This record gives sequence, C-alpha cells and structure tokens, in this order.
Amino acid sequence: MGARSVRTGASAVEEEMTQLARPGLPVTRRRHSTTWAGIAFAAPLLAYLGLFYAYPLGENIAMSLQRFDRGTFVHGGAPFVGFDIYREVVGDAKFWRVVAQTGSFTLVSIICQYSIGLALAVFFHRGGFRLSTVLRGMFLVPWLLPVIVSGTVWQWMMNPDNGVLNSALGVFGAGPVWWLNSHNALMSVTIANIWLGVPFNLVILYSGLQNIPADLYAAASIDGAGAWQQFWRITMPLLRPVSIITVLLGLVYTLKVVDIIWIMTMGAGTSQTLATWSYGMAFGKGASTVIRYSQASAVGTILLVVALVFGLVYLALQRRGED
Amino acid sequence: MRKTMNHVWRIAVAASLCVSVTACSGNSTPSPSGSGDASRGATTSEIRFWDPYPQHAAGSAWDTHVKSCAPAGSTIVRSSAPQTDLFNQLTTAVKEGNPPDIVSLDNPMMPEAAASGLLATAGQAGIDTSGVDENLLGPGIVDGVAYGVPFGSNALGLYYNKAILDQAGIDPASITSWDALNSALEKVVAAGAKGITFSGVTGEEGVFQFLPWFWGAGASLSDLASDEAVSAGQLVSDWVGHGFAPKSVVTDNQSAAYDLFLTGEYAFAENGSWFAAAAAAADFETGVIPIPSKAGGVAPVPTGGEFAVAPVQTTDASDHYANAAAVIACLTSGNAAMVTSETLGYLSARPKTRAEQVAANPVWAPWVASVEGAEGRTTELGAQYVEVSGQLSQAIQGALNAAGDAAAVRTAFTDAAGI
Amino acid sequence: MRRPPWKTVIAIILTAIMLFPVYWMINVSFTRRASIRKGDLVPRDFTVEHYAVVLRDQLPHLATSLLIGLGTVALTLLLAAPAAYGLSKLPFPGSRGLAFGLIVAQMVPAVVMSLGFYSIYTRLGILNTVPGLIVADSTIAVPFAVMLLTAFMTGIPREMVEAARIDGASHGRVFWSVVLPLSRNSLITVSLFAFLWSWSDFIFASTLNREGGSLRPITMGIYDYIGAQNQEWGPMMATAVVASIPAAVLLVVAQKYVAAGVTAGAVKD
Repeated sequence: MGARSVRTGASAVEEEMTQLARPGLPVTRRRHSTTWAGIAFAAPLLAYLGLFYAYPLGENIAMSLQRFDRGTFVHGGAPFVGFDIYREVVGDAKFWRVVAQTGSFTLVSIICQYSIGLALAVFFHRGGFRLSTVLRGMFLVPWLLPVIVSGTVWQWMMNPDNGVLNSALGVFGAGPVWWLNSHNALMSVTIANIWLGVPFNLVILYSGLQNIPADLYAAASIDGAGAWQQFWRITMPLLRPVSIITVLLGLVYTLKVVDIIWIMTMGAGTSQTLATWSYGMAFGKGASTVIRYSQASAVGTILLVVALVFGLVYLALQRRGED
Repeated sequence: MRKTMNHVWRIAVAASLCVSVTACSGNSTPSPSGSGDASRGATTSEIRFWDPYPQHAAGSAWDTHVKSCAPAGSTIVRSSAPQTDLFNQLTTAVKEGNPPDIVSLDNPMMPEAAASGLLATAGQAGIDTSGVDENLLGPGIVDGVAYGVPFGSNALGLYYNKAILDQAGIDPASITSWDALNSALEKVVAAGAKGITFSGVTGEEGVFQFLPWFWGAGASLSDLASDEAVSAGQLVSDWVGHGFAPKSVVTDNQSAAYDLFLTGEYAFAENGSWFAAAAAAADFETGVIPIPSKAGGVAPVPTGGEFAVAPVQTTDASDHYANAAAVIACLTSGNAAMVTSETLGYLSARPKTRAEQVAANPVWAPWVASVEGAEGRTTELGAQYVEVSGQLSQAIQGALNAAGDAAAVRTAFTDAAGI
Repeated sequence: MRRPPWKTVIAIILTAIMLFPVYWMINVSFTRRASIRKGDLVPRDFTVEHYAVVLRDQLPHLATSLLIGLGTVALTLLLAAPAAYGLSKLPFPGSRGLAFGLIVAQMVPAVVMSLGFYSIYTRLGILNTVPGLIVADSTIAVPFAVMLLTAFMTGIPREMVEAARIDGASHGRVFWSVVLPLSRNSLITVSLFAFLWSWSDFIFASTLNREGGSLRPITMGIYDYIGAQNQEWGPMMATAVVASIPAAVLLVVAQKYVAAGVTAGAVKD
C-alpha cells in the first residue's frame, strides 16, 4: 500500500473531518440575544469566580509585597516593601536550580503521561478483546488512593536496602539504586508522578476518542489506510482540541504538585520544585520550620505568571485551530 | 444573605485596597499581653481543646482523660492535628479571633508562638508552673515570662535487641562512648545482623534525633561549622557508608525508623521514650541505654514534649482563660497528672510525680537520667532556633547523602553555616 | 468476530504493572506492624486486625466523604455546564478573557485558597460544616470542568443547535434537551474528576473542617493515624483499601454508562 493511495483515500473523509475539526467557527452574524444569553449562562460562574478566587488571589499578591512574619500575619503591621521579596527570592542561591528542577519535573512528567495515556487510550479504544472495559476501569484505581498512601508505598518500593524495585532490577542483573538520595530524588518523584498522572490522561483522551465518529475509520480503512496512518491522519488531528486541553491542564497541575513529592522526600535534594518550596515556606515545613508567608506568596505568584504564559499559548493555539 | 454579601464585599474591597495602598495594617502591633485574667472570668459551657495527638481517637484513654477534666457544667470539645499544622491552625485562628481555649504545643515552637503574640501568659491564664524542672520549663519562658506548663517530657535513648547483642557477645552496659558504639556496630554487622536505625529525615524531626550526637561531640548551635559539629556529622555519615545504618535514614521519620527496628533485624535504634511501653511488648527482648557522648558518658538529649498553653483571646478573654486555668490545672496536678503522663507515654515534668511514676512502672527507670539531663532546643538561641535548625537539617541531609565521604561531610556543614 | 487473546494478555500485564503499588498497599494492610518494613512480597506475617480497627473508626468518615463527593459533583455541574454552553455556543464579549481567567484560577495554590476561605468562613460562621466544605472542594473542579466541557461542547455541530433554535426552542430548552444529552460522556468524565478530587482533598478539609468530629471526610480519618511521633501504617493502608471500594464501584458504574453511550458507534469494528 503506497502513500499516494492513502493520501487520495484520506481525502475522501477530508470533508467530514474539516467540519468536525473546526467546530468553534466564530458566528458570522451575532445577534444581541445570543450575547445576552451567553452572559446569562455564564453569570453563576462569574459570580462564583469573583467570590471565591478574587479575594485569595488579591491576598496572595498583597502578601508578596509586604514583609510578613507570624506576628505581623496575626496582628497586622507588616511593612510594605514593594518588590523586595521578589528580588530576594530570585536572588536566592537555589532559585535557578529549583526552576530547572521544576522544568524538568514538569516536562518529563507531561511528555510521559500524555504519550502513555494516549497509547493506552488508543489501545483500549480499539478494544475488541476480552475484559477491555474491566481492565480500563482498573487503570483508574490509583486515582482512588489518597496520595499520602500511594506516596508512602512508592517510598517503600524505592527503599534502597530492601525495596521491591531494586529486587526487580536485581533480577535483570542491575545493581541497586539509591532512589531517594539527594541526587536521584528528582528522577524518583518524577516516576511516581507519571504513574499518578496516567489515569487522568487516559480518561480524558479516551473520551476524546469516543467523540470521533467510527465511520471515519471505516472509510479510511476502505481507502486502504493502515492503523498507523489512521492514527496520524484521523486520530491525532481530531483529538487536537482535547489533546491541547489535556496537556495544558497537565502542565498546570504538574507545576503545582506538592503532595507526592512532599510525602516521598519533603522536597529534599533535587526534588525541590517551585511548588514544594513555596509550600514549605508557607507552612513552615521542610528543612526550615521558619514560616515565610511573603516569600511563599512571591514564589506562588511567579508560578501564576508561568501559568499565565501557558494560558496565552493555549489561546493562541485555540485561535489557530479556528482560523 | 444581605449580611453575607456585605461581608464578602468588604473583604474584596479590603483585598484590593491592600494591593493599591501601602500596607494593610491590622488593629495593632504584636502585643503579647492583652487584657483578660482567669481569676476574673467564669468557665463556659463549651471548652475547645486542641492537641497534636490525632492517634488518640475519640473514646481513647487520652480522650476520656481530657474530657474528664471538664469543670462542672462544661463539656470539652477536643480536636487534633499534627504538630506543625496545629501551630499554623492556631496562628490563623488567633488572627481571626477564633482560637480554642487550650492548646498543647510542641516545646520548640514556644518561643516563636510567644514572640508572635499568640499566647496568653501563664499568669493571665492562671497556669501554675511551680515545681516544674527548670530544664523542662525553659522552652516556655520567653524574656523571663512563662507562657505555659509542660504536660510531661519525653527523651531519646538507644534501644537494643538483646538477642542480637548476646549473639555478638556485647554487653550493652559497656557502650558509653562513640568508640564503644562503633565497635559494637562492627561486631553485630560482622555477625550477620544489621546495625542501627534512626531518623535523618529533612526538618525538625531529623534535627531532634541528631542533637544528642551533636551535643555529645561538644558542638554548639551557635557554631555549625565547628570541628565538633562536623565530627557528629561524620559519625552518622560513616554509619550509612559502612552499611551500619540503612540508606533509608534520609527519608525515615522516627516512626518509620522504629518500624525498621521492630523487624528484629537491627541491633540498635535511636528513638524516643514514647515507644518504651511498645518496645517492652515487642516480639523480641529489648532494652534501653542512654545515648553515649563522644568522649564517654551520657550525651545531653533535647527535651521533648508539649506545653499546655492558652491562646490570646480578644472577646470574653477572662472566661476563656478561666476555662484554660481549670482544665490545665486538672491535667497537670494531683493524681490526674500521673494519668496524663502515663497515657501520653511521657515522664512527668515535676520530680515528685516522676518518682511516683517510676515506682509504679519500672519501664521508666532507664529514662530518668536522660530526662533530667535534657537540654531545651531553644534555650540557647530562643526564637532564633528555628532558623538554625533549618540550616542544621541541610547539613545532616548532606552528611547522610555523603555516605562517609569526609570532604563532603565537612562541606555540608560549612555550607549550612553559610561560610 | 475472533477476539485475539494476545491483546487481553498485554492488557493484563499493563494493568498489573500499573496496579502494583495498589497491590503493595493491600499487602501491607494485611501485615502486622512488626513486619511492614521487611519488604515481603506477600503478607507472610498475616493479620486482619487493621481492618477491625478501620471498621470501628472510619465508617462515619466514609459516609461523610461520600456525601461531600456527591455534593461537590452536583455543585460543579450546576455551575460549569451552563457556563460551558455559554462559552462554546453563545460567545459574548469577554468570553475569551473568562477562559483565560479559568487557567489562572487553577494556578492559585490550594494553600492560598484555604486561607482565604478560612477567613471568609469564620465571618460567615460556616466553619466545620459539610456545605462549607462542598463549596470549597468545588473550587478544585469547577475551572477544570468549565474548560473540559467547553472543549467538548465546541465539538457539537452548530447546525444541531441552530436547527433547534429555528424550531422555536429557547436557549434554555436547547441547552437542556439538545446539548446536555449530547454531552453525557464529558459530563460523566467531569463528575468523575469532581468526585475523586473532593474524595482526596486534604488541605481544605484540614483547614476548614478540622473540628468537624465524625463529619470530617475520610482523608482526615486517615490522618488520624499519623501521630506526633508515631504513624500506624497498617490501619492507614487498610483505610485506603476500604475507602477505595465505594469509589471503585462508582467508577465501574460510570464506565458502564460511558461505554453504553458509545456502543452504537463501536459495534461496527
């Protein structure tokens, strides 16, 4: 089967695809009633966001501009210091190291979670084998566990002395790894986080696949397209909106991951990320029990700005998809 | 509903003002002593009691004991959270004018809590601190003012597995210096057993466990880069390097370290007196010796345990303090004081009660010397301690990760000290 | 149609790898405390005492969690579904800005959110209440739900909506009778996440509901086994096992629904 025949074959379904892939076409004639109806439908959400997000968000930014300690947090009187806290945080000896670790934790997690999640979603969606529904359901079970439990289980499995992971490596002749020492900690928490994130990707991508009409595949199949071509020419393009949102949400969630890292290492060594750093300072936990509300808020705000950038990228991608 | 909206609006406006205008100053600057006096108040029908013992669930011995201390006409509502969370929740509650009547606060947090204006003085809250050992009361005294009374004290010791020591031909009583301990570790490991478990986890818990070695080497918290400090780091680092201690010490907390000892595979475990009763009931025969210092003799251990305190109140302060006075007096005096110590697994902070406790329960005998020789973590540095503890924690982690490498251990300590 | 057994074999192997940590949890939940750190592959030092403890302590917390989870799902759908319809099918000025705001909203650290809620709730007097916690928990899911539902509703052909409009249906009716039924899969997906997030929330519960007694969710119940210097991993793991069961049942039921919704298209292969 040649590439040419596939191309011509694919064009047979092109029309139907275009309609589906460009669902968000802007309305050409916009009526006033539509606008007001849209606002009416979104009004409860707007009120909700204003009520419950505006105050904490404002508070967070306000805190990063004043120098708080426990006493002034309680009784007031924290001096306004402008952007001093930001300068201190960015000037901290470990700031850029932590940024790099956060970047690698986030990127590796996202890439692995998305590709594993997608591969599994396609595998289960093709289905046609016994127990496929049951097994797919089982994949979500890790999600039901409290992270305190799954994090601890990972810590035990990664025990350098008698952990089951090292035993498994031993079977293949590899030497034991000190998973959670300061050097390997980043790799180890990333592995656990990937495990934690696969079900999320699987669920969303799977329901995205379900929205792709089966007759497209049937048509492509008649046209002689193999499984691989079907994947790249039908699945990937039609899954694009869902993929973008999955990756975007994945980015946002991974950036703010604290619990799994905290339970496994308390952010020791290379496993410190911006989120765990901020968490430790906000609660006076981790290596230093000194509470640093302002610094924590500053790091939190920096994370927010990073999310804003991703948000802009998302909007740009969405717009490109529509034009 | 209108009122609700008003509140929300006011908050939103206040928040936006905070951003635009300079500082949002609250009502006042921190003032440790507000108004209110226990002697002028009357106990109320509901008394709120916070402690860091979630493991003592509703209906447990501790829960029953606390509730039995309610004055006539009152009921005690008890709730729990882990130490640090409890301190943060207390902070927020005081900020919002909604603190409980009594809190049981971990002793190294006392100077910061007092300096931040979270606590009523012992005088205001009618808390009796007389007869409490000076070293145990120390963390609760800030600028010469007492802010609470310890419920009791725990201490660290060296548990051992008798069968393993017997097999290796070691007399536990002979372990009175680092050299003796190291040679014992070498012997048990040569005999096929494992060495020692302890907690080296990031944070205060790991520091707490390290201090006996640190102080036992003659080091001082005001100089983390001293040769004495480094030698203590080298000691624990070598244990990991030689395989005497498991590598998991870098993430093991005290409970996890104790669980390792419970497997029966380890000869020693550095751990707290709160496990004394449980260790006596373990599957194998255990014993306890004091932690040895470097040159020989008993090393000073840090004082452990919580203080009973009354948070600062803004409304009906005298009544809340009267609640605190009544309940704390009940829990820390008379016969109930002994029940308090026994249910928490602590030794009493008052010598008289402590003697009765030891007479009644021989499991406490080996701990008395450690408790009486214990040093308050915050005694030397006061509220500065938390800062130094954070640096020391970094040094300990560095040393353990170095697994014996002397140069790396030294770097860990000098880096932590900021040199 | 022949069903290739090798696919089932691969699927079972993959599932086994994925669920190995879950197995480990079950393994530990049946092991006596003295042996939990031995790293045995099977619970050789077998006991069921942890489950006895859990059944004694945790049932009220389980019920509370269930209540909170269902409440969160209801509130989330109530807020998110209409908004997503508005955003996807009835664009209005500023709707893009709103979509952007949702992304930012998800970045606000839970710590910050919980402190904000604490001070609002103290003033309103709804600390330590189940409805208060439902509202707080919904903030984890609502922005996500709006974004996901918008993405899916955008995929509903515009013609279907417009045809209904031409037939004289109001926007409300179109939403209720056309858009919602077509969005069943994504609504279930969103519900699933809303439920699971509130099920596993700890930060809000520990800040806003710490004095709730037995009306505290199961995550708080689990944390009760973490003492000052002593953690009871056996009962913790056993609680996690027990707590997974109702959630797993819900999951299977939801999966059935999702599967039923698409079989019409799927039988052909």
